[in-house]
Amino acid sequence: MSESASTSFPQRAARAIKDEFLQQALAIATTRFVNSRNEVFQAFPQGEALRDRARQIKEAVLQRLDHYLEQLTDNVERLGGHVHFATTAEEARGIILSIARENRVELVVKGKSMAAEEIDLNEALEHAGIRVAETDLGEYIIQLAHEKPSHIIAPAIHKTKAQIADVFAKELRHQVAADPEVITRLARGALRDKFLQADMGISGANFAVASTGTVVLVTNEGNGRMVTSLPRVHVALMGVEKVIPSMTDLVVFLQILARSATGQKLSAYTTLVRGPRQAAELDGPQEFHLVLMDNGRVKQLAGPLREALYCLRCGACLNVCPVYRQIGGHAYGDTYPGPIGILMTAMLRGNGAVKDLAHASSLCGACAEVCPVRIDIPRMLIELREHLDREKIAPWPERVIFKTYARLLGRPALYRLAGPVSRLMQRPFVRQGRIRSLPLLFRKWTATRDLPPVAPRTFRERWGELERER
Amino acid sequence: MTARAEFIGRIRRETSKTPGLFPATVAERPADPAAAVERVRRQLAERWPQAIRRFQEEFERLAGVFHVVPRMDQVPAVVGRIARERSVRRVICWSAAALGADLGEGLRQEGLDAVPMPDGIVGEPEARRLRELSAAAEIGVTGADLAIAETGTLALISGRGRPRSTSLLPEYHVAVFDRRVLVETVEQAGVVLEAWHAEPARSMSGGAITFITGPSRTADIELTLTRGVHGPREVHAIFIE
Ligand code: SF4
Repeated sequence: MSESASTSFPQRAARAIKDEFLQQALAIATTRFVNSRNEVFQAFPQGEALRDRARQIKEAVLQRLDHYLEQLTDNVERLGGHVHFATTAEEARGIILSIARENRVELVVKGKSMAAEEIDLNEALEHAGIRVAETDLGEYIIQLAHEKPSHIIAPAIHKTKAQIADVFAKELRHQVAADPEVITRLARGALRDKFLQADMGISGANFAVASTGTVVLVTNEGNGRMVTSLPRVHVALMGVEKVIPSMTDLVVFLQILARSATGQKLSAYTTLVRGPRQAAELDGPQEFHLVLMDNGRVKQLAGPLREALYCLRCGACLNVCPVYRQIGGHAYGDTYPGPIGILMTAMLRGNGAVKDLAHASSLCGACAEVCPVRIDIPRMLIELREHLDREKIAPWPERVIFKTYARLLGRPALYRLAGPVSRLMQRPFVRQGRIRSLPLLFRKWTATRDLPPVAPRTFRERWGELERER
Repeated sequence: MTARAEFIGRIRRETSKTPGLFPATVAERPADPAAAVERVRRQLAERWPQAIRRFQEEFERLAGVFHVVPRMDQVPAVVGRIARERSVRRVICWSAAALGADLGEGLRQEGLDAVPMPDGIVGEPEARRLRELSAAAEIGVTGADLAIAETGTLALISGRGRPRSTSLLPEYHVAVFDRRVLVETVEQAGVVLEAWHAEPARSMSGGAITFITGPSRTADIELTLTRGVHGPREVHAIFIE
């Protein structure tokens, strides 16, 4: 994407680490999210079993994904809705554009949708002369500031209220107090007009229930409700993996989703929509369209990133990730930040797009621990690194280092020798107990890494001494 | 765009390439949802006082305002008080059939401009007029089809005489319900959802079900909790004992 094309991941990360406000904002926000999440789960003992159940449901759905999608399609059509199938991002954009054209749409109101971000839908609509209003407050701020979201559920987490007040002042051409209450009121007024005028509402989908043809939206602000109640056309865009079998499955997910995301028991609004408005209704869309999108997902059904398809997009893995907590969302340089974002970027754009990002993890396992569906992100990251190595996408000094290391580990005699030899060789490079940079070919590799030096005495040497002392 | 057969066909081929990561099953649905709901109701017949207390506790924790009245005909007085305290007077409400009582007259006696929503199908100009009225109204009065004690949640089915916007556009949402719609847990709400969808034509005349857990809220600016960003900034629950 635009930023990642012009800068490298290490550059973006370095910039983020130097940004004092960002550091403070990230620390406060992620700590708050993590604490709320932990508290609410502690008070909900059945949560652990529900997480196991939810994980099973996701796996079971993927095993029969074709069946559930057929069922979903049949039911949406039976209710009077239209279902479209998009293999690529381009197809998804094309479908939505043609729905907009057929309905002579001038203004679109959008609910928060990562899938729409993923396909750069706003740009496509605007390019076609259609005005788009983001309606999630965070997304709206980001849109006015011409930026990208930096967190899955808190898109404007990186901005201060003063910065946000400035953005509004510029848009509204008058002074705005740096007070969340004031800014929220202003946004309510501005967006309310748009909701009432808009011809088309676009939303994502947190879930789609196959057996009933229901699309489920979870929001706190109520914009999801607006988008599905007021405009005459509603388009929901979802990745194929979001389908679930039944209402019974839905309540399993609802019980852990908000708890994982924000530490709420339930989000303020869970909206279940079945097709367009029914004959007896005064409001609701006259037309309903569901766009089922592949965009790199389907080939992972039998691929190494299959488990990433369980993701509920709750954001919990971002909040606990020591890397995300330091660098924030923008440094990742793509739609999906954080640990799951690395895997999603690999899924959407191929392994080449994550040759640096694949290492933006300490493999500490905190993400897998909090993930409501227990996705083993570290396992997939390790496998991704192996792939990068095998496909020779990884930088070659790194490949040389690890190959050499592997050889040493496989040959005890060589390994014994390696201790004293490395101690001799590292001597010029150790500063304050760390190796901070190496010369020549390894300079780039150590530019962003410190290494512990080889110890004055290795474990084997000390063991030998202890044996002799006995 | 890809044709359905081609799209699903590709997914079928990919799914058949792998047995998956581990053997897994989906959640087990109630075999007879109506009977399952009946069982829940029987439990509640004795436990409803505890359940409504729990509801109140959770609802108030979300900044909801809880009221109890003995009878439906006392609802207008509560709405009147809410309106006077907030210096507002424009009220929209669900139709008499949807609410189970005609509140229009009572609300007018409270000095409120009350507009009940129509039960029948109306023409485009009338629909537009009602939409403008709804957008201008300060208070929206609805029923509730489900109240979940564990989370302080109200669920509303849209349909005839029960527009989606009545609980959405006004600044203050007032929901009226009694013990018949009360359940204790989200899991039980799942059973009710299964029952509704087992006979959708009978139980739902509209296309949307909304679960409402407190007022509209956001924390998008420096994580400061702010209410009423798009939907109502206050939610009131009136329980008819
Ligand atoms: S990977 Fe898990 S924790 Fe991360 S966003 Fe997805 S569901 Fe949430």
